[in-house]
Amino acid sequence: MAVVMIGNPNVGKSAVLSRLTDRPLLVSNYSGTSVEIIATQLKSAGKTIDIYDTPGIYSIKSASAEQQVISELIYSQKIDLILNIVDAVNLERNLVLTYELMELGIPMILVINQIDRARQMGIEINCQLLSQIIKSEVVCFSANTGEGLMELISLIEMKGNKEGKDKGAGQPVTIIKTKFDGNSCNGNCAGCSRSFLEIGAEDLKRAEKAADTARMVTRQTGSQSKKWMNKAQQIIDKPYLGTIILLLVAYLAFLVLMKFIELSEGPISDLLAPVNAVIEKVILTYLPDSIFTTILAKAVPEGLIVPFTIIMPAMLMVSIIMSLIEDTGLLPRYSVVLERVGSLFGLSGQAVIPLSLGFGCRTPAVMATRILPNQQQRFIAIVLLSVVIPCAATLGILASVITTFQASLPVIIVTMTVTLILIGYVLSHIMPAEEVFIYELPPLRIPLWSNLWTKLKMRFSGFFTEVLPLLLVMSIAVRALIESGLLNHLHSIENITKALFGIPAEAFVAVLLTIFQRYLAPLILLNLDLTAREATIAISMIALSLPCLPVMVMTVREIGFKGLFKVLAIGMSTSILVGIILNLILP
Amino acid sequence: MTLKDMKPGQKAKVLKINHGGNLSRRLFQIGLIPGAELTVISQHPFKGPVVFELGNATFALGQGVAGAVEVYTNENK
Ligand SMILES: Nc1nc2c(ncn2[C@@H]2O[C@H](COP(=O)(O)OP(=O)(O)O)[C@@H](O)[C@H]2O)c(=O)[nH]1
Ligand SMILES: [Mg+2]
Repeated sequence: MAVVMIGNPNVGKSAVLSRLTDRPLLVSNYSGTSVEIIATQLKSAGKTIDIYDTPGIYSIKSASAEQQVISELIYSQKIDLILNIVDAVNLERNLVLTYELMELGIPMILVINQIDRARQMGIEINCQLLSQIIKSEVVCFSANTGEGLMELISLIEMKGNKEGKDKGAGQPVTIIKTKFDGNSCNGNCAGCSRSFLEIGAEDLKRAEKAADTARMVTRQTGSQSKKWMNKAQQIIDKPYLGTIILLLVAYLAFLVLMKFIELSEGPISDLLAPVNAVIEKVILTYLPDSIFTTILAKAVPEGLIVPFTIIMPAMLMVSIIMSLIEDTGLLPRYSVVLERVGSLFGLSGQAVIPLSLGFGCRTPAVMATRILPNQQQRFIAIVLLSVVIPCAATLGILASVITTFQASLPVIIVTMTVTLILIGYVLSHIMPAEEVFIYELPPLRIPLWSNLWTKLKMRFSGFFTEVLPLLLVMSIAVRALIESGLLNHLHSIENITKALFGIPAEAFVAVLLTIFQRYLAPLILLNLDLTAREATIAISMIALSLPCLPVMVMTVREIGFKGLFKVLAIGMSTSILVGIILNLILP
Repeated sequence: MTLKDMKPGQKAKVLKINHGGNLSRRLFQIGLIPGAELTVISQHPFKGPVVFELGNATFALGQGVAGAVEVYTNENK
């Protein structure tokens, strides 16, 4: 049996699914958390039920990327049941989608989620009456408290059993296929797609029906608890005060991150030192004597230091900070107060979300660009993410290189900022986009500890499964490169790199190495003997160059190979230009 | 008068959307349709977004979009 969850953004689809399956999913307090369809399996009463979590949509008739993903799912898979998740607090708007979905002819259960929050706001909903009106199953639900869970599960099971009996009786789903399929519109395509966008009489009728229904089943009891949360929201939504508070929060988060890394580095190094000594000994005793063993004995312990002492705590803290900013509902508010600034970069304020996520890890951030309104903005954001935005890991290691060589931090920061603005400015003028800023601001909420915890686990587990292995492999490769003596032959191009960028050839190799993993390149630098000026230029070139391997993979997935090549070309030329310019202007 | 010209705290009803196609559909989807009642919470400086309440939800619209939303308040009647 296949079940698909559909609902407006931020109504709690993922939260409901987490409840259903008892498995953590990314839940966030802002629109656009699930940018792709996630399939999960629920085993119940000996049956396997496939459940698909989808990105939020307001309508199945819009032309957005999210909507297309969902249409594809509905038409390609045999969907037996729709779980329409609606927000109890905004019933009227949510029910418009419900009425649209009802026209699909697929069995449906309406899940009135966030019933707990509705009660807190003094809104009472008569789920039974609603069920009678829309003639389908309705469950009053709360993903937070678990209310309605048993009822929902048994309803799903019941539908599943029914489906078993009906098998072979017909194919209800495929009937609709022609109805919404854009391709089925022969001859009069222009008119067709137009009427698709234009609000028709049908749409208005649906909206009216939704409003009537909502009015009939809701009752405002007046008593509003949690007043102080509303107060906080009022203050945050004041233009000047709100901006100051939000920027202070961002700065505070940055300070906390830096302090955390600083405090944890020492103790972790102390713990790691004996472990590394053992690893080295084991490798030397148990592997046959060869140059390869020598390299491994050096490279493995070496390759563990940076990931464990810097990247691990950085990823941990960034995960915590991001979850907090997301779950409280602050994140989208950044896009409102920064809308003007964002427009300088050819981006709407929404871009702050993927870009700020990028400071944590750029790979998921590339995916998150799907929340941007159009392809141009997505491309600009992906370029900025790939070329300019340093992730926590990059920042951590760049910081260590900067201190080692006493490189000039102000020069690097100014270089990166100027590049950021220039790239955004140039790109936004090459491909000017229509500026449409429509954003829903979620309510400020107190984060759920359980949710913070699952998010933390999910984000952070990537450290052991992806970051650590990749880093280890790469640092072995880097060590092999150094040991092989290949770098010594590079003196032949020393003249060129010195003339162009003012840095030694080895440092230029580090720049090239960013192709594999940006935060590894600085490892080479640490092994070199650089002056402060050389280090400043080399770090700037590394900081502003190519995306790391996982980001590249994600970029191909999102905007195709052509897109990736454009990103790489921009990254490479940026890096080279930065090197040349800095070499010319630095004393 | 459009949403762009409203002051914080002011309430108004939507008269019509002076824009066709995709934009009016998106506004329709968030419930911004003729007859809908809204309350402006803030107008951001330097021609920034307008934040307003509609139903029980809060939205922000850029100046361009807000300028297309024609409203009427009780005061100018
Ligand atoms: N109070 C309350 N909050 C909820 C409930 N379900 C979800 N939320 C919150 O609503 C926000 C959006 O949830 P999410 O599952 O990411 O929504 P999605 O975008 O529809 O997948 C999160 O901050 C959740 O903590 C609920 O039943 N009650
Ligand atoms: Mg979700």
